[in-house]
Amino acid sequence: MNGLLPVGTTCSTAYDGTSYTRGGTVDRADVGALVQSAADGDAAAWKSLVDGLGPLVWSVARSHGLSDADAHEVYQTAWFRFAQHLGRIREPEKTGSWLASTARNECLKLLKASKRWTPTDDPQLLDRPSEDRTPEESVLDSEEAAAQTERVRLLWQEFEELGERCRQLLRVLISSPPPSYQEVSAALGIAVGSIGPMRQRCLRRLRTRLEARGTK
Amino acid sequence: MSDLNDEYDEREAYDARDERDGELHDGLLEEELRQAAAILDPVPAELRRVAVDAFALHDLDARVAELTFDSLLDGIPVRGVADPPRMLTFSTDGLTVDVEVSADGLIGQLLPPGPAGIEVLSGPRAHARLTADDMGRFTGDAPPAGPFALRLRTGGEVVVTEWLRA
Repeated sequence: MNGLLPVGTTCSTAYDGTSYTRGGTVDRADVGALVQSAADGDAAAWKSLVDGLGPLVWSVARSHGLSDADAHEVYQTAWFRFAQHLGRIREPEKTGSWLASTARNECLKLLKASKRWTPTDDPQLLDRPSEDRTPEESVLDSEEAAAQTERVRLLWQEFEELGERCRQLLRVLISSPPPSYQEVSAALGIAVGSIGPMRQRCLRRLRTRLEARGTK
Repeated sequence: MSDLNDEYDEREAYDARDERDGELHDGLLEEELRQAAAILDPVPAELRRVAVDAFALHDLDARVAELTFDSLLDGIPVRGVADPPRMLTFSTDGLTVDVEVSADGLIGQLLPPGPAGIEVLSGPRAHARLTADDMGRFTGDAPPAGPFALRLRTGGEVVVTEWLRA
């Protein structure tokens, strides 16, 4: 297959078996224990939670088409409130869903307050350099960088030109590590059972667009 | 009959394989997108730092006053008022905090009325200090942009309002 991935990249085991428990069984198993440790004062556990669940919270803000400034505020509000409720959360193992739904509620409020709806297919986003060098970026810096960068940009461009619902769903699904469907449901207010079929339709729509551009 | 069954089984097997291939392709494409998101739209580094620092906001000794009224969600729109003040009510056992936030500033009322020391939190560190008078009234500058919370000291106890963006 002529995918955009480097040759030899294999599919994550997160996609094996039932989709309902992906994420949940792969990277989220320790969340409950980490929350407990953080509540007991363990700063390292808190940091692990920020790294493990931060991208999910960010994706929720991003998927709602907020401006950069508003997305920043949603992200902060969700974490401040989580810190405040730490130790009082009834089901610590479901913290991902708690954060996702907190972020979603803040997004909806911001949209209602400001009507500052800006489309996510902001061309600046494509060109915006990120502040930190991720391992992925370091790969891009290597000799084959130009072609690889071009492929990633093209993929992202086609993703951003998908319809709003697909863009929203996929943006949350592609946070890293992969969220569970319960978390996606909390992030977007859609039924768990409808995520799988929607995901399939959106990914196939995206593939069709890529094929139409001659980039499978 | 058996021919028919064979053909049926064959088609079913083909469909199953097709479906598996489709799912494999979907999974690969999703993973490519995940990598693209990590490159082109990661959590900004300064935001990650803010979230790490937010651990300092963990305070089990403080009671949390939950948001019970928000004019943005529960209020009736006032005709002709372009930018109405935001009315917020936070409640916890035995204490209610009414807050009105507008561009002009912050006005508040504690119920039951009584004096309190109040900190306006706008992050893990930054804050301004206010005082509620004997009638439980307090005023201050509008909180800075971004999420804020009030930490109130009344008598021997500490109450913190739920974080939100004004």
